[in-house]
Amino acid sequence: MAAMLVATTMAACGQDDGATSAPKAPATIPELTKDPLTLSFIWFDWPPAHALEAFANAEYTKVRSNVTIKVNTVPNANWHDAMFTQFAAHKTDFDIPILDSQHIGEAVTNGNILDITDFVKKNIDVKAYNPYLLAAYGQYPQAETGKRDENASLYGLPLLGDTWTMIYRKDLIGDKPPQTWDEMISVAEKCQADNPGVSGLAFHQANGSDAAAVTYNTVNGVYGGNLWDSKTRKINGVLNDAAGQEAMDVLVNKMKPLTAAGSGNWFIDEVNAAVAQGKACIAFNWIAASGGLLDPKQSTLGTTREEILDKLGFATLPSQKTNLVPLGGMGMHVSAYSPAANQAEALNFMKWFEQPDIQKKWAAAGGVPSRTDALESPEFLNAGPFNKVYADSVSRMRDMWNVPEYARLVDIENTNVNAALNGAKTPKDALNDIAKEQQGVLDSGSRKGGGGL
Amino acid sequence: MSDSVPLTTDHPGQVASATPPAPGRSRRLSDRGLAVAFISPALLLLLAMSVFPLLWALYLSFTDYSATRGGPAHFVWFENYTAILTSAQVHLRALTTLIYVVGAVALQTVLGFSIAYLISRRTHGRGLLTTLFLVPMMLSQVVVGLFWKFMLDAQFGVINSMLGSLGLGQVEWLTRQRTALISLIVVDTWQWTPFIMLIALAGLTAVPKYLYEAASIDRASEWFRFRTITLPLVWPLLLIAVLFRAIEAFRLFDLVYILTSGGPGVSTETLSFHVYKVAFLGFNTGTASAYGILMVLVVIVLTQLYLRYLNKLKED
Repeated sequence: MAAMLVATTMAACGQDDGATSAPKAPATIPELTKDPLTLSFIWFDWPPAHALEAFANAEYTKVRSNVTIKVNTVPNANWHDAMFTQFAAHKTDFDIPILDSQHIGEAVTNGNILDITDFVKKNIDVKAYNPYLLAAYGQYPQAETGKRDENASLYGLPLLGDTWTMIYRKDLIGDKPPQTWDEMISVAEKCQADNPGVSGLAFHQANGSDAAAVTYNTVNGVYGGNLWDSKTRKINGVLNDAAGQEAMDVLVNKMKPLTAAGSGNWFIDEVNAAVAQGKACIAFNWIAASGGLLDPKQSTLGTTREEILDKLGFATLPSQKTNLVPLGGMGMHVSAYSPAANQAEALNFMKWFEQPDIQKKWAAAGGVPSRTDALESPEFLNAGPFNKVYADSVSRMRDMWNVPEYARLVDIENTNVNAALNGAKTPKDALNDIAKEQQGVLDSGSRKGGGGL
Repeated sequence: MSDSVPLTTDHPGQVASATPPAPGRSRRLSDRGLAVAFISPALLLLLAMSVFPLLWALYLSFTDYSATRGGPAHFVWFENYTAILTSAQVHLRALTTLIYVVGAVALQTVLGFSIAYLISRRTHGRGLLTTLFLVPMMLSQVVVGLFWKFMLDAQFGVINSMLGSLGLGQVEWLTRQRTALISLIVVDTWQWTPFIMLIALAGLTAVPKYLYEAASIDRASEWFRFRTITLPLVWPLLLIAVLFRAIEAFRLFDLVYILTSGGPGVSTETLSFHVYKVAFLGFNTGTASAYGILMVLVVIVLTQLYLRYLNKLKED
């Protein structure tokens, strides 16, 4: 087993040619242990992580009473490093890493997670999913937006679906949400002018994680831009074309002035805080992180959930030249360095988790499922006012790159978009720098020395 | 009494070997063996935790090794070093680090020495005051970073709230290019001024009183006494404190990570923060090792120059 792991972790040189070194999981789940076993996950610290631990311990133990589920959490900013430093040591204290969809390429080419293609074929009803959702959380090389390549290998299964929702103050801008991006900006502008102390917009601008990058990518998509040409691996000239420049101009010159002073380092929690304290007319946030907005203990908008819902509305993102929305959420994978008994248990958990009734229960427990039947179920649609937003957004989703160089690409984008939003760079310079530096990263495969600078 | 064992000798080793072993002590364990036994755990720890990693990093710095990609490390010789030394990205971080080190250490030195000078002139409550001033230094940098992050928050922070109550406008402390670096310097100064103060206070209390008494008899002014007695005697000790602080400030990471994440953009990214990104975002272990080695070399060279100056000062 050790020899196999060593062999399978031999370097892939970071080329996006689909050549991978991930070890294969068996098609059939091996015999499970009867001894007490702790199945460990790793995720970042946010409500869905706690919901998963509670849900899995309550439900999975009904079928596997000797198993305890432990969801280890780290701060969001440390999430990637916490997983990949352990991968680098070829020893993990987790069995199921919950990876962002964009981490898949890095984990696969390094042989850090199991190839579960055969396992999925034998145990999972793939037709029950929207093909793009199944591809986004598991397929490598990356699928074309909206599609799945049935011949490509799978390395993960959906755990939590997610996208951005537009959160708007019904009491300030009316019940009907803006339909276009331009309309959204003018409504926010008017709302800010009419309500001193309340900013027109609140969105992610921080330079950590993927905060500012997702914001730009969203506006880029809505204004008809592209992040790259995946076939030719070209970014320079694609990202910073006319559509990309227009998107950056809208973000920095039209949207940023409508945000609160000092919001240049805001991410999920800060945006939620602004909404909960009634300081924003329109905000954008991940659906999976929006549950706390309805908690009267955390809000100044009302003393009951109903009172809060009288003031807050949740809608799909406005469209402009396209109706694209960002794909969020994460898949679950199996660590290549876990003991065999834990890998078997992990596969069993994944099979159990993807069953229709379990997906519906997960939806009722606060999760966002990926099976179409669960997404359309009353358990999911009635669990939160934003769940319908997710269901309506599935067909509109677009993801970032999931290549091995993702961590560096997103850092380049984050820091430059953050610089533009905070006046440290002009929008044009920032976008051109992103395109140039990202292209440099993609082209540096044959470079000798100095990688990473 | 002619056969008694001498109490002192020029050759203590000989006396020790002549001493009969204590009852119960193994005859095989010589004093040298005992010394080795006592030292070896610390020595092994030092070798395993410091020397070996340093040598290993030195080896990796000449390769293109990546910790996550695995596989063999290929020698690229000085390519990593050349790339780092010619990188505009690195030059930018070096300039940011230099501004930070000079700004923070200069401010801390002036404030620390001033506070120490004022405390040294007090006769009552000196101990209590010193203890209170030392509290920030005892705190973890992460904790300090977190509570300053809340205090400096433009919307909800207490600093802007106070400025507001004085009729002043909001300042974006952590999200504007100029104020972000100043904020880092202020927070570091808040935490580490007590260190300079402590060393300076030790120097000030060690100045012989008779020098001041002689100066008083000669009716020397306060400024003259400070310039010709206090400062020259405390200066070498103060410089040691400055050296320690400069080395610490040079490798600043925690505060940047917590307060600004290097932003806005990369305008507060220090060299250490950049090394972290090179090491863990792309897992370019070879480059990161070379980067780390170069930083160590810079510290060693600057320290050597500094120590020579100190020695010259002592000789003069």
